[in-house]
Amino acid sequence: MIKVRIPTPLRSMTGGKGEVESTGGTIQELIDNLDSSHPGLKDRLCDERGEVRRFINIYVNEEDIRFLTGKHTPLKDGDEVSIVPAIAGGSL
Amino acid sequence: MLAIPTAILEAMVAHARELDPHECCGILAGMNGYVQEHYRITNILATLTDRELARFDQAKLSDLQRLPPEQRADIAFQMDAREMARAQQDIRAKGLQLQAFYHSHTSSPARPSQTDITIAMEFENFREKLHLPEPLHIIISLEHKTSPDIRAYRIQNFQATEVRLQSL
Ligand SMILES: [Zn+2]
Repeated sequence: MIKVRIPTPLRSMTGGKGEVESTGGTIQELIDNLDSSHPGLKDRLCDERGEVRRFINIYVNEEDIRFLTGKHTPLKDGDEVSIVPAIAGGSL
Repeated sequence: MLAIPTAILEAMVAHARELDPHECCGILAGMNGYVQEHYRITNILATLTDRELARFDQAKLSDLQRLPPEQRADIAFQMDAREMARAQQDIRAKGLQLQAFYHSHTSSPARPSQTDITIAMEFENFREKLHLPEPLHIIISLEHKTSPDIRAYRIQNFQATEVRLQSL
């Protein structure tokens, strides 16, 4: 099992849960599996080409997948994946 | 307290002025409250699709959707995640730590907005698990164009508390 941490804006898709469990041998498989149990989640995480959206960082344990092998980053049982939107804000 | 070399403070104001009327954003790194490195991060807000804007709360979202895309970065920012990750990697390689995130308000005071606070708290949810130190949040106000106001805040429990900034 892989523990996945869900950011607040996406919790409407996980029944309010901040952590869900899923499976997958790679990040790509994990995202596909997450999308089966929480339809629409993949679309919020990835663009039309299947790449992680430009305002989202995905970490496996403490490492950003962009510095591993991106969506092909391998996962093993017990890994923790964090979906972290990059800092944003505004003036209003 | 957060101590920032004058050259970095000037570079932050220059960044804000360059992008005015758009908001700028960036990262400061250093050790124990002393800033040593400055990273400009691209504000990609104007290029987000309507679907991507859904990360903002409902109030902010309707403010943003009322504006044409090219004006949306006047009232908000979204850091480029790839650049943010690259900065974090460089910070680690230099043996430094994250000290602060900064952004500009081009026509309002140097105070965190509700959106700033909500998103800072969202980041807090992950921060400790990713072993990152607590960042301060700095706002550069260009409300008075000739006298920029720069202030730093600690954001915890949905409250912003001002922290003294010292220039070195
Ligand atoms: Zn702000």
